[in-house]
Amino acid sequence: MKMEADLKVGIKEKANKMLGYHPQDAKLSKSYIAVAFIALLVGGFLGLLQGLNRAGLLELPTWFNYYQVLTAHGLLLILVLTAFFTIGYFYATLSHNLGGLLPKVRKLAWVGFFVKLVGFVLAVIPILMNEASVMYTFYPPMAAHPVFYIGLALIVVGVWLCCIGAFIQVANWRKNHKGQHVPILSYFATGVFVLLFFALMFVAVEVLFMILPWVFGWVDGINVMVARTLFWAFGHTLVNIWYLTAVSAWYVVVPKVIGGKRWSDLLTRVVIIALVIMNITGGFHHQIIDPAINEIVKFMHVFMSLAIGFPSLMTAFALFAVFERTARRKGGKGLIGWWKKMPWGDVRFLAPFIAMVAFIPAGAGGIAQTTNQLDQVVHNTMWIVGHFHLTLGMSVVMTFFGISYWLVPFISNRVLTPQINKLGVIQTWIWTVGMICMSGSMHYVGLLGSPRRTSYSTYGDHATALGWDPYLTLLAVGGTLLIIGVILQVYAVFNMMFFAPKGETEFPIAEEEENATKTPYWTERWGLWIVLMIIVVAMAYVIPLTDMIVNAPPGSPPFKTW
Amino acid sequence: MNQSFYGLLLLIFLVAPPVAHFMESHMVIHMHMQMPMLVIAGMLMARFFQKRFPTFFEKWNSNGIPGILLFVIIVVYWMLPRTMDEALTTNSVEVFKFISLPFLAGVSLRDSWKKLSSLGKNIIIIGFTVLFIGLGWLYIWSPVQLCNNYLIIEQVTLGWGFLLTAIGMIVYLGYNFFIDPSAYE
Ligand code: HEM
Ligand SMILES: [Cu+2]
Repeated sequence: MKMEADLKVGIKEKANKMLGYHPQDAKLSKSYIAVAFIALLVGGFLGLLQGLNRAGLLELPTWFNYYQVLTAHGLLLILVLTAFFTIGYFYATLSHNLGGLLPKVRKLAWVGFFVKLVGFVLAVIPILMNEASVMYTFYPPMAAHPVFYIGLALIVVGVWLCCIGAFIQVANWRKNHKGQHVPILSYFATGVFVLLFFALMFVAVEVLFMILPWVFGWVDGINVMVARTLFWAFGHTLVNIWYLTAVSAWYVVVPKVIGGKRWSDLLTRVVIIALVIMNITGGFHHQIIDPAINEIVKFMHVFMSLAIGFPSLMTAFALFAVFERTARRKGGKGLIGWWKKMPWGDVRFLAPFIAMVAFIPAGAGGIAQTTNQLDQVVHNTMWIVGHFHLTLGMSVVMTFFGISYWLVPFISNRVLTPQINKLGVIQTWIWTVGMICMSGSMHYVGLLGSPRRTSYSTYGDHATALGWDPYLTLLAVGGTLLIIGVILQVYAVFNMMFFAPKGETEFPIAEEEENATKTPYWTERWGLWIVLMIIVVAMAYVIPLTDMIVNAPPGSPPFKTW
Repeated sequence: MNQSFYGLLLLIFLVAPPVAHFMESHMVIHMHMQMPMLVIAGMLMARFFQKRFPTFFEKWNSNGIPGILLFVIIVVYWMLPRTMDEALTTNSVEVFKFISLPFLAGVSLRDSWKKLSSLGKNIIIIGFTVLFIGLGWLYIWSPVQLCNNYLIIEQVTLGWGFLLTAIGMIVYLGYNFFIDPSAYE
């Protein structure tokens, strides 16, 4: 009896090893993913409150007003959901790809986990006390309670620890596997953590050296332009970190799920390198309307932003090529007949597929916004909010959802049941319809002039403002559908984490094409890519930053505008 | 052959009046983009000369030191505010810039770098790092305008460009010192 049981355990362990499953690492990833989806649940309800308010259906009480809700919604979804999901997902990847996390790396990630949580709690308390309604962008001269910024600083430190852990893990693997390429999904992870590491430096300088001394009253004024510039060097890069995370699943996981092969390994790695090198400088496209940046510099940055579009277009091309090739291999025929061969009933495919399709209008909108004249029309209107619910709320988040249907079972040692898969498919369609309604009406009402970050007002029954109402109602309808989607999704995640039947789930990583050319070794020279990245950053930032600092107006005192 | 051709194309591009005019309109772009790109153009074209005149390089630059000295002299010359000014006001000096940076500095850098010992390479990089810190300090905190053609704000910007480049080189030196690539490759 005993022997049999031992044997069973032995076999199980072996099977786990084969699948690259490490219980302690899985626990780490599970904790990160759990926090991410709790953030989605809470953030989603706050979003609903905002949607209902904007439609004029709900007046928020004075003790929890629109701007408190909005600050919390932004922070929960833009920071907590994405950061925790990305780290949970990529740490699971590193563990699976690279033979388990090193004990010290695991420890770093746990310390990072708690430092981030403490930071987050510190940031939330002043929001609840109505001392920090500064939105997730916390632009000076709006000033929150100092504790809010200390919380942010701790979150930065926590993420840094995870970056350093990932670097140690990858470096160690490379030492033991000389001359080999880092497995593709871990290569994505490396790119993401490199970007995170450097992007966070900008916001750390902003918070630690500019904002904190200022809110503590040690200095009288703050250079608003410099602060905004540092924020967007970070903020824009964060956007592309989500994108790169989602893209990793598109390139590597989705082909496996549909039973196909991965697209060119070399070009995939080139896309990652290109995004790492060119990314940070895109930050200026969030400041097209800012004064104090001269036209030549702005013109240069339109160029920089559009340059990032190039790897994105390559991605679109690559993925549709993979789909078509796979479907044709399965007997799909005709110009569009091959579509029927795709596994539409598999949520692990459906969710990221719709996410990719959403990226087409989302990317087009982005190109429009980075054009100076067009941005004048939509800047600070609901259009922008529509844009990032399409890019982030659909392209990125739906990919995360799609990932969850295999990642959560994998790290929980359970399986995806047909019922949960079905639930996932339903969830996906609800989310799609909800986001189309909400984001579509946001875009349109933005063109009609409805401002973002503004609670409901008819502006004294002004005719223009009244004309927004039908769209704002549609926005609320979409928001209501979305909250149903949120509930289903969070239910699915926790079901898969704790209640689904035990069993092994595969970590889906597609193989290369058989006749693929060998990837050259220079793709592994991260030192070089980082140097190039720093050069590009220097070229983009030295001129405008010196101008902003040397020709600065007197600094601004802190304001509490709410 | 191919890379020499691209080097030539790059040189022609840089010399083209609208490009040159734009790049010279900012002091920092003039010194930190145009000039290095001229050197890079020369480095690409070096292949052509090495193939064409192998004995010349063998005879005059067998250990790389004469070449690197020539490179240092040319590059340091072009870092003087006075020479930049002159390039903008006197046509012949401008022509000299377009010739000296690619053909004297770029070609000799390419031919010499591989021949230097790692000590030699480090001396060069450290030397330039110190020089860049000095120049950064000079340009940022100089109380007067050093160039007739550029305003003080341009000068300060250039100073920061120098300092950041120096920081970049220090990072590189540290990276080289602490990390042994052969442990990974
Ligand atoms: C239940 C689903 C959701 C609803 C109903 C919803 C609704 C809204 C509404 C009405 C606004 C405010 C617009 C304004 O006044 O400016 C908003 C802002 C925002 N939402 Fe959502 N949203 C949802 C999900 C998401 C998701 C999944 C994300 C990101 C992952 C997200 C990120 C944001 C961000 C970053 C803001 C901007 C905050 C700011 O301007 O400071 N939302 N959302
Ligand atoms: Cu951006």
